[in-house]
Amino acid sequence: MCKEVCVKYRTKAVVPLCLLLFALPAFAQTDPGLRGGTPSAGGPLSSVASDMPPTILAFFNDGRTRFTNIDSVSNSIVGEPGFGLGPRYNSRSCGRCHAQPAVGGTSPATNPQVADATADGATNTVPSFIVSNQAVKEARFVYFTDASGNPMFGSPNGGVEPLYTIAGRTDATSCTASVISQPDFASAILHNNIIFRIPTPVFGAGLIENIDDTDLLTGGSNPYGISREFNRNGNDGTISRFGWKAQNKSLEIFAGEAYNVEMGVSNELFTQERPTPEEDRATGLPSQCRTNGTPEDHTNFNQTAIATGSDTVQFAMFMRLLAPPAQVTGTGMALISVINGEAAFGDVGCTACHRTQMVTGKPVTGPPRITASLENVTARLFSDLAIHHMGTGLADNVQQGNASGDQFRTAPLWGLGQRIWFLHDGRTNNLLTAIQAHSSTNSEANAVIANFNLLSVSDKQDILNFLRSL
Amino acid sequence: MSLLLILWMSVVTVVPKNVILVKGAIPGASDSTTPVPEKGTVSAGRYRNAYFGLSYPIPAGWREQPAGPPPSDSGVYVLAQFAVSDGERLKAHVLITAEDLFFSAVGATGAKDVLASIRHDLPARYEFDHGPEDVTIAGRQFHRLAYTAPRTGLRWRIFSTDARCHALTFTFTGVDTEALDAGERSLSAISLASAAPACVNDYASNDNIIEKTDPLLGTHRFNTIPVRVLIAANGRVKHIHLLSAFPEQSQAIIATLRNWRFKPYRVDGKAVPIETGIVFGVPRMVAKTTRAG
Repeated sequence: MCKEVCVKYRTKAVVPLCLLLFALPAFAQTDPGLRGGTPSAGGPLSSVASDMPPTILAFFNDGRTRFTNIDSVSNSIVGEPGFGLGPRYNSRSCGRCHAQPAVGGTSPATNPQVADATADGATNTVPSFIVSNQAVKEARFVYFTDASGNPMFGSPNGGVEPLYTIAGRTDATSCTASVISQPDFASAILHNNIIFRIPTPVFGAGLIENIDDTDLLTGGSNPYGISREFNRNGNDGTISRFGWKAQNKSLEIFAGEAYNVEMGVSNELFTQERPTPEEDRATGLPSQCRTNGTPEDHTNFNQTAIATGSDTVQFAMFMRLLAPPAQVTGTGMALISVINGEAAFGDVGCTACHRTQMVTGKPVTGPPRITASLENVTARLFSDLAIHHMGTGLADNVQQGNASGDQFRTAPLWGLGQRIWFLHDGRTNNLLTAIQAHSSTNSEANAVIANFNLLSVSDKQDILNFLRSL
Repeated sequence: MSLLLILWMSVVTVVPKNVILVKGAIPGASDSTTPVPEKGTVSAGRYRNAYFGLSYPIPAGWREQPAGPPPSDSGVYVLAQFAVSDGERLKAHVLITAEDLFFSAVGATGAKDVLASIRHDLPARYEFDHGPEDVTIAGRQFHRLAYTAPRTGLRWRIFSTDARCHALTFTFTGVDTEALDAGERSLSAISLASAAPACVNDYASNDNIIEKTDPLLGTHRFNTIPVRVLIAANGRVKHIHLLSAFPEQSQAIIATLRNWRFKPYRVDGKAVPIETGIVFGVPRMVAKTTRAG
């Protein structure tokens, strides 16, 4: 293997490095770990950076600012310019959780949700699964429960259970812990009735949004028993593509839902404050905690230019205009390993789902609709955006749209090299563990993982090195 | 065990781990006794599948691997997987699949088509040893495709045969020639029943239907629902097998299809039972193909 690569890339420097590579198989393959250096993501698409069309860069920058703004309940706290937090929330800004390796990414090394629990006087208890040196988590209860907390198996839930309430905050004095409470996470853990999700990175999301359904449906046969099914929008039947189960059709829906569910901000897409199902069946959200009129986030008619847009619209615009992560291949032996790793990644069949690339759509006539870098460009996302059965080992038993309890969207792998936590629940920071977790009863990936396990140590190492280059 | 713990266990309900409880589109059938492709079993060193009349001798030392996913909405079944290792490293494995040719995502009409499609879609870096070529195994026609990935040394030997309008495929993958040879030899001792109803593609067209009502599918899910139907010689529906449907869709389709009546299918003037395919929901789409990355 190395011999062929050495012949192909022969240089005076490379040959001795290849000899060194031959010595590697004596050791087990290991995840090289988080790729250091400058974040390879977080900036705008190139045409946006060039401000084409004019003012688009200002939209991007405004969106990024709003994405990182910390929300307070009533916009009365210095340094927290956002508005509408709560009455329930998981964190206080988009950017606190979508942070690694840059704004728009995924969970940072230090979980900000620990500090969010008591920020600005809030009196929340930090749930046992929220830990400073573990991934940011969103919690969902698998089933609705009876009065004793027992899951009712005929009543699947799957909705997000926000970690915290605004009770005790200095800007929500009427909303106290006597009228609103955190979910009973201890009981949910006791009954194993809880699952977790971590933030999906949104780099390159505009390219994903702009891939035509027809191109997603393009594909052929494979010898791995893998099929391609898609989650679809219930309104128009087109392919949805954002979120861990591809449950959201567009970035604006994705942003609107997250703003409502993760931060408790009602908006023009999700117009009401969100009560718990129990509150909904009784008298709704406590009136003491309904601090603001709804929707809290809306078009700003009293403003001009960029400031007119709602936060939700600007969040979506920021995500849409974010450049995809750049691959960092290194040189010499590192480069050879990455090249070989990408080939091995294809050989074992990973690309049957982690499809290397697709081309985004282009206008039928006329100039680019939004900006040139979104249109007719090759997106090396390493995903087919389809939903696949991942088996009992990864199943979270949450149904979203047509995606069942063990179906997940193929996670785009661009940017993987600088992600800390892997899989939908962030259960591991070890890439090799994440790969092996793809195999379990009822998983579509079993044959592919068996192929991976056929490889030599050096070929497996090359795959890990390739993945960490992304 | 303390009394308190026993008491607690008696009143606390726990969601079981490593079980898929919330299922989406899954297979269903109008009865539980008529064989269906996904219900194979492993016993006494053989994989058996009553639907195909298949009995496959698992090579010595090869072990059953985790079960595959449910059948897909494009008619792909992962029937079983077996693997052999030397204790530390996997040497080879075989994946047994079936593709229902009534619903093929690539428009395949036979086992040879399926292999040709796999070959077509493979990247140029592979080296092809054979095929697809015709071979006779255990007195039955198979098609064989063999290729190698030169960089990693992975080798594939794929054998596919037509069975009840399915491409029944054995995909051996490995790095160990002896293990692959042993796998290939095992095929010579398989048995496959030939007695099955004739399979007739697209028989459920309006010309052949005497009586029908359309099912009310409820929530508009925009999914494709492939259905195999056994039609008796008298034109009545004898068995319904839904490959992939949400439970409420299965109920509606089964209830409706039971009352459909077809013109009897005739061979040499004699009415005979057949099986055919019907798609409910969103029509299946045959994908354009491209080479994989």
